[in-house]
Amino acid sequence: MTPMVSGAPPGIISVEGLRYVYEGADSPALDGIDIEFSRGKSYALLGRNGSGKSTLARCLNGLIVPTAGRVVSCGHDTSREALSNEVARSVALVFQNPDTQLVGATVEEEVAFGPENLGLPSDRIRARVDEAMERAGVTDLAERQPHRLSQGQKQLVAIAGAIAMEPDFLVSDESTSMLDYSSRQRVLELFEELRSSGMGIIHVTHFLEEAVTADEVVVLESGAVAERGSPSSVLGNPERLRALGLEPLPVSVVTRELERIGHRLPRGVLTAGELVAWLYA
Amino acid sequence: MAVRLTLEDVTYSYPLTGKGEESALAGVSFDVEPGEVLCVAGANGSGKSTLAQVCAGLLAPTSGSLRYGGTRVSGRNGLRRFRAKAGLLFQNPECQLFADTVEKDIAFGPHNLGLRGDELAERVRRSAAVVGLSMDELGKRSPFALSEGQKRRVALAGVLAREPEVLVLDEPFIGLDFEGAVCLREALEEYRTARRATVIVVTHELSHVWSLATSFALMAGGRLVRLENRENLLRGDTDLAGLGMQLPQWGTIARELLRGGIPVGDPSDLRALAMAVSRGKGTPGGR
Repeated sequence: MTPMVSGAPPGIISVEGLRYVYEGADSPALDGIDIEFSRGKSYALLGRNGSGKSTLARCLNGLIVPTAGRVVSCGHDTSREALSNEVARSVALVFQNPDTQLVGATVEEEVAFGPENLGLPSDRIRARVDEAMERAGVTDLAERQPHRLSQGQKQLVAIAGAIAMEPDFLVSDESTSMLDYSSRQRVLELFEELRSSGMGIIHVTHFLEEAVTADEVVVLESGAVAERGSPSSVLGNPERLRALGLEPLPVSVVTRELERIGHRLPRGVLTAGELVAWLYA
Repeated sequence: MAVRLTLEDVTYSYPLTGKGEESALAGVSFDVEPGEVLCVAGANGSGKSTLAQVCAGLLAPTSGSLRYGGTRVSGRNGLRRFRAKAGLLFQNPECQLFADTVEKDIAFGPHNLGLRGDELAERVRRSAAVVGLSMDELGKRSPFALSEGQKRRVALAGVLAREPEVLVLDEPFIGLDFEGAVCLREALEEYRTARRATVIVVTHELSHVWSLATSFALMAGGRLVRLENRENLLRGDTDLAGLGMQLPQWGTIARELLRGGIPVGDPSDLRALAMAVSRGKGTPGGR
């Protein structure tokens, strides 16, 4: 075990004055980020291409270390422990393109890869693998070769591999972008299930609809936090979202327009179901 | 000039190492006319990517046939001739990027078609411009050092630079932000109109191509379940959820309005949609 940062709470990722500059880049990818993520909560991380979302995601699990400032993930300062397993073990990262992280010959081996590296006894590995495959809905694919699966199936396998590590946080870097609606719903339900069992979920996405159920929405712009707050406060402001390069939720645009012509709607209408409910109320 | 592309009872099976084969497409038939945009939509694993590769001549059907302008595309030479007229943008841009600079990558296709010198440079510049890339800014950079969104644009510029009559794109919107998606839609519309090209877009997300597509081929389990138009999709004749898909948010609202007998024009025009909702609700404060 590597030493914990004294006084740092274990169930938190704390980001302080984070600045990150890619080698050879003229401007920082992240500049002056101060934010805290807690276990048991879900966060949606939004922002246009190049706003710094993926860079932040990589900083959270120590894949890259801050140029300045610090990230303390679950008690571990990522700058001091970048090469240790501790950070990666407590903060799992799932990427947009599953091909970048699938290595096993079968789905089962793939999911077992992480726990095996932790040096767990084989019956514990077995139990973790079975549970992770079950939760991600890939048990039927156990014997299949990962590279022969569809992109969506591969992504579920990658997520199963992350769950098998039993991390405190799951950071999803656009992990749903290749998934069809049904698979996406399944992954989002899985995220919610993991959150309610105490895991922290940080989900980077281009789909604002996926941010509706988050506990907190964070929008990055030019490497800094431009907006953060509840889904209704952040997503309910179409003009601001457009200025940040995001396509507002159609429902919030329609709602704004209805209010403009004199209708009175309840606050925080973000889904088609809520708008239809108002229509027929 | 593009001509009609026809798939006739196409099946495709991937050979498995050692034992048998795995069926990916079964009995798929449709026509796409020049200037049309066919959206191929379906859940993960429904056969969309395989279909894209058949439409671009990369995979020869196991049975059934691909016809281009009435001529059956078959045999090595037939496929090769057809491939020269078709272009495929792969789902993963890294599958098709290979050169050490953006400029060389985009120039590869037209160079193979015999373009040289100024003509080649002009073709590269124009293709890059269609997808919103500046060669002055990025031409000398490595395509692999770019962001995902930019890689995708370089890959698309490389396909467009060959000026294919049949343009097939496999999930081109993945990973693009709002501005990137708008830019890609405009590029496709511009290319389609200017070249009267046949465009086939594979996607699992109907909203991206809603306004662009002339028809929607809905796939499930390797089969073409339905060939639909926008109006029918909106009216809800097809069980989209059962096919692993959903209407965009505005589509769901429009469907509700239509069910209530309230006419909706183009529901992706959100201001018009708000007016329709308002009509459905009645005069503000009037109830």
